Amino acid sequence: MADLQKPQDIQHSPKRADKVATASGAPSGAEAGLAFLGNRDWWRGILSTAFGRGFFGFMAFAILVSIVCYLMYGMAAVEAVLREDMTLLVNMMPRVVLALCVASLLWVVLPRDRMARLVGTESGLRGLIIAAIAGTITPGGPSSAYSLLAVLAAAKADRGALVAYITAWALLGFQRILIWDMPFMGAEFSMVRFVVSMPLPILAGLIARHIPIRFDASKLPKGSR
Amino acid sequence: MFGVGFYAMLTVLAGLIVTAFRAPNPVFGAALKRWIEQFAVLVPRMFCALIAAGFCAKLLPAEWISGLLGEGSGFSGLIIAFLTGLLVPAGPVICFSIAAVFVKAGATPAAVITFITSWSLFGAHRLFIYELPLLGFNFARLRMASVLPVPIIAGIAATAISLVITIKMLTGR
Repeated sequence: MADLQKPQDIQHSPKRADKVATASGAPSGAEAGLAFLGNRDWWRGILSTAFGRGFFGFMAFAILVSIVCYLMYGMAAVEAVLREDMTLLVNMMPRVVLALCVASLLWVVLPRDRMARLVGTESGLRGLIIAAIAGTITPGGPSSAYSLLAVLAAAKADRGALVAYITAWALLGFQRILIWDMPFMGAEFSMVRFVVSMPLPILAGLIARHIPIRFDASKLPKGSR
Repeated sequence: MFGVGFYAMLTVLAGLIVTAFRAPNPVFGAALKRWIEQFAVLVPRMFCALIAAGFCAKLLPAEWISGLLGEGSGFSGLIIAFLTGLLVPAGPVICFSIAAVFVKAGATPAAVITFITSWSLFGAHRLFIYELPLLGFNFARLRMASVLPVPIIAGIAATAISLVITIKMLTGR
């Protein structure tokens, strides 16, 4: 990661910048390969992340709502919901796997320092607009949008740009509008929704820049640094 | 089974693999490491959260709520639509089915837009499955505070647009 902090004199050559970012994705020659796969501590860390407090919290909540559902609608309803959930999960897994492939390759390939300049703290209104457009055209569901957001955050993008990106994805994302809005609600309704939502990611980004809430990109959760 | 987005992502992935092959260092090891780390953060939680979300959607009284969103519900209708959006912790299938129920029961377009906007921004499933594990509590808090007024603004703007359209239709222009 040390390479990221170094000032660069080669910022205008995309090829060389690629190299620098690549080097920062794989800190040293020894670690660049697959050596981490033999590291027991690393695997233990992975397991404790996977089955941490969050996991058991969700499990407890799922059990609680399933009991409420059983009491209100009976066993047949619980079974129907579970069957639907399983179908949903099976359908989602390929998307999640693919989104993670894209995000993790982007993580090592993208020139993160140059990206940060594009949507960094000094990027002004232009940075917010770029972030909003990027969010609008990001393909895929939340698994891809949020993994890309994590890459942007680790690249020290501005907090306003981060909020503008994910707000634009949520409100204006082309894919959501084409697949869900249009067929379910009709073209006219989706047009009105798109038009009234257009300025909102920028507004949210501006609010995020000025709101007095502390956010430190260097303290992201474990799996994202 | 897979839509446009899936194939768009596949194309992006192919481009990235080519780029990664052209990089001077062996980057695939680093990419695999990050892949496993993020998979561990996301997938087990996703499993439990999706099951919980399915039950929550089943428990939501959509038809009763739609009675509160009709013509003349005004600003309070927008607030109720906003709060309902917070309560739908499930994917677009369920959200848009509920929105369709609302439309059928005579909810105003502005209320439905507020509902969809609110769900898009605050859907608890996305918060718990993706945002908290990948970006942490501090970011989630910052983002939610920043977009808090957005669904109501969208609803008011939609009300204004429907008014303009109605006036144009009435005056025959």
